[in-house]
Amino acid sequence: MRPLHRLVALFLVFLLGAAACQPATPPPAATPTAPPAASPTPAGTLEERAPIRIGAPFNLTGGMASIDVPAANGARLAAEEINAAGGVLGRPIELLIRDTKTDPATAATVVTQLIEQDKVVAVIGFNDSDYVLAAGPICQRAGIPFITVGATSPRLPGQVGDMLFLTPFGDNVQAAVGAEFAFEKFGKTAYLLWDKGAEYTTVLAKYFKERFAELGGTIVLEDTYQSGDKDFSAQIAKVKALPQQPDFYYISALPDDVGTIVKQFRNAGITGPIVGGDGYDTPLLLEVAGPAAENVFFTTHSLLTADSPNEKVRKFVEAYKQKYGTEPEAVFAALGYDTVYVLAEAIRRAGSTDGQAIKQALESIRDFPAATGVINYSPQSHIPQKGVTVIEVKGGKFTLAVERVPQKVPAP
Amino acid sequence: MGTSPIRRGWRWGLRGVALLLLAGIYLALERGGSAYLQRLAVLFLINLMLVVSLNLFTGFTGVFSLGHVGFMALGAYTSAILTLPIAMKKVNLPDLPAPLASTTLPFLPALILGGFTAAAVALLIGIPILRLSGHFVAVATLGFLIITRVVLINAEAFTRGTRTFTGVPPFTTLGWAALWALLNLYIAWRLKHSSLGLQVRAARDDPWGARGVGVSIARVRLIAFGISAFFTGIAGGLWAHFLTAFSPNAFYFSKTFEIIVMMIVGGMGSVTGSVLGTLLVMASTELLRNMEPGFAIGSFTFGPLYGLSQIGLAVLLILLITFRRQGLLGDQELRLEAIPERVERWLAQRKVVLESPRVRKADP
Repeated sequence: MRPLHRLVALFLVFLLGAAACQPATPPPAATPTAPPAASPTPAGTLEERAPIRIGAPFNLTGGMASIDVPAANGARLAAEEINAAGGVLGRPIELLIRDTKTDPATAATVVTQLIEQDKVVAVIGFNDSDYVLAAGPICQRAGIPFITVGATSPRLPGQVGDMLFLTPFGDNVQAAVGAEFAFEKFGKTAYLLWDKGAEYTTVLAKYFKERFAELGGTIVLEDTYQSGDKDFSAQIAKVKALPQQPDFYYISALPDDVGTIVKQFRNAGITGPIVGGDGYDTPLLLEVAGPAAENVFFTTHSLLTADSPNEKVRKFVEAYKQKYGTEPEAVFAALGYDTVYVLAEAIRRAGSTDGQAIKQALESIRDFPAATGVINYSPQSHIPQKGVTVIEVKGGKFTLAVERVPQKVPAP
Repeated sequence: MGTSPIRRGWRWGLRGVALLLLAGIYLALERGGSAYLQRLAVLFLINLMLVVSLNLFTGFTGVFSLGHVGFMALGAYTSAILTLPIAMKKVNLPDLPAPLASTTLPFLPALILGGFTAAAVALLIGIPILRLSGHFVAVATLGFLIITRVVLINAEAFTRGTRTFTGVPPFTTLGWAALWALLNLYIAWRLKHSSLGLQVRAARDDPWGARGVGVSIARVRLIAFGISAFFTGIAGGLWAHFLTAFSPNAFYFSKTFEIIVMMIVGGMGSVTGSVLGTLLVMASTELLRNMEPGFAIGSFTFGPLYGLSQIGLAVLLILLITFRRQGLLGDQELRLEAIPERVERWLAQRKVVLESPRVRKADP
C-alpha cells in the first residue's frame, strides 16, 4: 500500500501546485473589468464603469489585528461613501482589502500581487513600520503611490522613497507636543519608562527625551521593560526609592500593555500625572485600569466622540456606528477613513490614475479637512503637518485636554 | 547493487528529463516576467532550505530542535550588516565598531560568513546541548532561540534593536536561491546515505546498539548540527536580502512553527519529503489566501473569509496527523529509480501473463 500512498501524495501536491498557479486570472470580485473608460463622461451607470482599483493590505489576523481591522473598516466605509456620492472621475472606487497575517514576507507578496495582477493605481494600508518597510520599496519601484494609514515613524519617507506618504503625524511631532504640554502643565522633572520590544515605543521615548531636554527639563530616572511583561514591580520599586517624586511620568507603551502598567503604578501609590503617546488610544486603557486611569494624559490623532466639536468627526463616528454597529474601536479607524478620502481627492486633482500624477497631486494638497485634523503635504514633506490632540482621562472618559502644534520638532 | 544496464540507462534518461524540467521551470519563471510567481518561487526555495536543514538535523538524529530560526536570524543579521553600504551604515548603525563600519563585502562572501557564524554558534552551544537527549534538547534549543532574540534586541549597535533593520541591498535573485537550495538538497541527500548519516540514524533508532559498535553519538550529532546550522544561516541571509527590511520579531515562534509544520507534513528524515511538505504547505496557504477576499462557485459567492489560509492549514495538519502520522513520506525518499523499477515489475508481470497461456498450451 505504501508506494500507492506515496503516489497519491505526489499527485495531490501536483494538483495543489497547479492550482496555486491559477489565480493569475483576474480576482473573483464581481465587478466587470472589461471596458476601460477613458473619456471624462463615460456611458452607463456608475457600477458599470471600470472601477479605480486601490490596494488595501492590512494585518487582519495576527498580533496587529486589533488596530488594523478598525483601520480597514474605516477605509471601506470611506470608499462606500465616495461611491455613493458619485465616485471619482466618474468611476467607482474598488478597495481591494487583503490580509497580510502580521507577516512582512506575506505583506511583500500581497503588494506585489496587487500591483501586478490587480493593476491597482495606489496602495494604502498598515499601521506599523515593519510592514511598510517590507511593502513600500515594491510600490516605489513600480511607481505606485503608497499611503500608510497608521505607521508614525518620521523616517519612513527617507527609508522608502518619494512615493510614500503618511496619513498620521510623525512620532517626533507627537513626542514634542507631549513634552511641551507636560513641561508647561506639570513641571521640569520627569520619569521616563519605555518598551524596548518595539520600534514605535523606542522612537517615541527618544524624541520625547530630546525635546524635553531642549526645553530645560530633566529626566530623574529612565527605565525600560519588554512588551508583554506583566509585572512592573521592579520598575515601580525604583520609582518609589527616588528621594523626590518627579512632576510627571512619561511612559511609552504599546496598546496591549498600557492598562496593566497604569494600574500597577496607581496601586503602588503613585498618583502623579502619567503621560504617553497614541498607544494609549485603546479601549483597553479604561477596561483594564478602570478608575486607576484618571489623571492620565496622552497625545493622539483625534478624539472620536459623537459630540465632538469637529463636524467631520461627528459624521464619521455616526456613519461608523451605523455600518458596523459599534463606535470606532481605535483612532486608526479614522485614519483609514481619512486615507481613502485624501487619496480620492488626489486622484480627482490629478484627473488621471497615473502614479506620478497622483503623487504630484498628493504633494499639492493643502488644508484638507479630515477627521484626524487638517492634512498638508508638500514635495519636501510627505508627513502631514497636523495638529496633535491631547486627551485627558477624566471621570472614566476620554476628554479633550488641548489641541496644539509643537513649537519645535526634533529632527527625524 | 545488481542494477541492470537497461535500468541504468533508464535512470540517466530520467535524470536528464528531471533536470530539463527544472531548467524549464527556472527559465519560465525567470523570463516569464511575473514578479508575483517569482517571489513565491524564491520564498519557496528559502523555506525549502530551512526545512531541509532542519530535517537534516531533527529528522536524521531524531532530536527535536526548536532553535533553528535563531540560526536563521544570525545568518540574516550577519550578512545584512556586512553588505550594508557604508553611507547607509552611518545613518542606520552609527555605533557600529570600526572595522565593520568602514567595510562592505559583496554578497557571496557575506552570505557564507553568515552561514559560518551560525555554524560556529551551533558548534559552541551544541557541545553542552547535544549531551542531553529527547525533549530536553527541544527545551534547550528553545532557550537558545529566546536568548538569540534578547541578544538581537539588546545589541543595538549592530542590529538597531527592535527597530526595523532597513536598507539591505536586494541581492537575492531566483538564480541565487535556486543554486543554494540545490546545493543544500544535494548535501542533505549525500549526507543521509554517507557513513555519518548512517551513524546518526543508527544512534536515533538504537542509541545503545550504535554506541556498542563504536558510534560517538555526541560527536556525529554535533557535526550534523553544524552543517544544518550553516545552511539555515545561508537561508537567513538569502531571506534578509530578499525582504530587505526585517526586525527580530521575524525570527521567533511563528517562523519556527511554520518550518516545523512543513517538515512534519513532508516527513521527518526525508529529503524529498521536505520538498513535498514545503510545496504542499506553501501552495495550499497561497491558494487559500487568494480565496480570502471572496470567490464564487457556480452562482454562489462567498464573502471575504480572512483567516481561511490559517484554518485550512490547521485542518490539513489535523488530517495528516490523524491518518498519516509519519508525514507524506515518513523517512522514505522519492527516487527516480523507483519509476523504472515499477515499470519493469509491471512489464515482468505482463510477460508472465502473456507467456503463461503458451505454457499451458504446451502442457497437455
